[in-house]
Amino acid sequence: MTAIAAAPAIIGTARAQARTITFGGSIPLSGRAAETGLNVHAGYLAAVKAVNDKGGIEVGGQKYMLDLKMFDDASDPTRATTLIQQQIDQGVDFFLGSFGSNIVLPTAAITERARKPMVQAGGGSDQIFTQGYRYVFGFFPRASQQFISSVEYFKTIEPRPRTFSVIFTNDAFSRTQADGAIKDMEAAGFQLMDRYQLPETITDVSSVLNSLRAKTPDMVICTTHDQNSLLISRQMAATDTHVKLLYQTLGPQLQSYREALGRFANSIMVQIYWDERANYKDAVFGSAKGFADTYRSINPRPLAYHTAAGAACIVVYLQAMQKARSVAPAAVREALATTDVETLYGRVKFTKDGDGDPILLGPRIGQVQKGAVEIVFPTEAASAKTVYPAPKWSERS
Amino acid sequence: MTLVLQTLLDGLVLGGVFSLAAAGFSLIFGVMNVVNLTHGIFVLIGAYLAWSAQHFLGVDPLLAIPGVMAVLFAAGYAYQRTIIQSAVDRSSLLASLLVTFGVALVLRNLLVLAFGPDFKSITPSYAFTNLKLGALTLDIVRISALAASLGLIALLAFVLYRTDWGRVIRATAQQDFAAGLCGVNVRHVYGLTFGVASAFAGAAGAVIGIVLPFAPPDEGHWTMKAFAVVVLGGVGSPAGALLGGLLLGLINTFTAQFIGPAFPNAMMFLVLVLMLLVRPHGLLGSAFGGSR
Repeated sequence: MTAIAAAPAIIGTARAQARTITFGGSIPLSGRAAETGLNVHAGYLAAVKAVNDKGGIEVGGQKYMLDLKMFDDASDPTRATTLIQQQIDQGVDFFLGSFGSNIVLPTAAITERARKPMVQAGGGSDQIFTQGYRYVFGFFPRASQQFISSVEYFKTIEPRPRTFSVIFTNDAFSRTQADGAIKDMEAAGFQLMDRYQLPETITDVSSVLNSLRAKTPDMVICTTHDQNSLLISRQMAATDTHVKLLYQTLGPQLQSYREALGRFANSIMVQIYWDERANYKDAVFGSAKGFADTYRSINPRPLAYHTAAGAACIVVYLQAMQKARSVAPAAVREALATTDVETLYGRVKFTKDGDGDPILLGPRIGQVQKGAVEIVFPTEAASAKTVYPAPKWSERS
Repeated sequence: MTLVLQTLLDGLVLGGVFSLAAAGFSLIFGVMNVVNLTHGIFVLIGAYLAWSAQHFLGVDPLLAIPGVMAVLFAAGYAYQRTIIQSAVDRSSLLASLLVTFGVALVLRNLLVLAFGPDFKSITPSYAFTNLKLGALTLDIVRISALAASLGLIALLAFVLYRTDWGRVIRATAQQDFAAGLCGVNVRHVYGLTFGVASAFAGAAGAVIGIVLPFAPPDEGHWTMKAFAVVVLGGVGSPAGALLGGLLLGLINTFTAQFIGPAFPNAMMFLVLVLMLLVRPHGLLGSAFGGSR
């Protein structure tokens, strides 16, 4: 813990005339990934506004205001790469990430080639962090390592579940995360019953549910994106396809998901990367709660953990600039590589490959209880006890 | 055996939704030779209208279908008489392809502006109930969707084959010049056809909305499904859309169940290619092609 930098106030009071630090990038404000893209973007906006409202920051004796130039990539990797290349050509030095590994991966290749840092909270696919990139940093641990804390959690459940099946879609993130989950679960002694690979866009999972009813595991793990997760759980509830534990890495964290399922959302498990009740100190917002309060005062959009991660991307950038006492991309990159700092999002530290430290930045485990997501693991951060086995669909209240 | 029956049932339910979603597309293609790439967005507009009816007025999405159809009929008629007709007059039918593509993009973004990019989901009161028939499990929402689809396709068949509107639509499809000589206002009929097709696309959207979560980017998916149904079933007739849709549903579920859930799309396109090679007009052929 001694390596953690104290969280000094980074809001500057320099008297020199302010210059501007521009953060560029693309983000899905429309298209399939827009729901979470908007959440990440809202975090970027909140951080920039908070810093500028307090007079900017001071780096190496010079005062800077922040500027955000994020463009809508419409969830389209081709469009995103064009936008990023344009910004490189226009001289943007610092990039924030899009959302979705399929977009972050090709855009990271461009910023890497231009030697411009990218800090992102939208891509967790292993391929982003195994190309030898030096300028790309991600908040999430790579997908194949995102299941470590989940497996630890499953081991604590009593009576201990023994079998599991995995549902995933044919995209880089979902498939890689499923592969990582299966590897870690089997290593921990859980028995894989089936793995179901679905197309990227799904309209029906009745065949999967038929199989699940015929051959029911203790746990069903879905490494699917939000909309697909909702379809799966909705069809499970409608066809009374019951398992003791339904775990979806994405979906239940969204209010819209929980509203759509109503009482049937209760007992569904989800990965949670951030909780506003955590006691984190932050240089810009003061604390996690300070961020949540500031955010809600400026944006009516429900707060999601991706929003906090987006804001923390900028906080980490600013801390790195102050540490480097420079706004030169290469110097900031070096400072980012050795980042170990507490932020509104928690303690941020990157691996040598640039992804989030799997222990510090790995997910907590949440469960929907009475319509809200409660943390059930790790125990020291838990806000509620796990409900296991989950009640049958018809018995949920 | 139970698994085969369950898969058959699931396929028919899914196919019913596909049939309804494709009926309007098939009609426009059959009557006007226009490949309407706006079709998917009309489906989604229907879904959003049904969502609004439930969200703001508390109206069941299936009961909202007549209202949804009325709105989309008017929109479709106006759209054809202005933008589509203008494109066809100035250039060619190919121009209508580009125009409908462009309009779909614009409408998709207008949907984002109006409703936001977040996915929506319609949850009627019967959303999570099911019916057990022995070992078979029937999801009431999907059964309702199938019943609504079959009812609406029957209505479309009635309109086309038992009403004056249907008679002039079919006459115009067979020989627009001759129909014009007989006093039919061909442009008006084209507008009517587009209106009817849009109304059924909207109805399909309301039905789809209770089955699946939806968001503006899904429009391309429903246009593509409609295209596949038309290639399979044949152009222009409700029967072709019904047959193509049911077949597509069965291909989806049987492939997913017995080959693998990853392969329905691959199998669908394989069957489409085979169909185009062996029977390019689809199983029932073109409903109006014989007289052309």
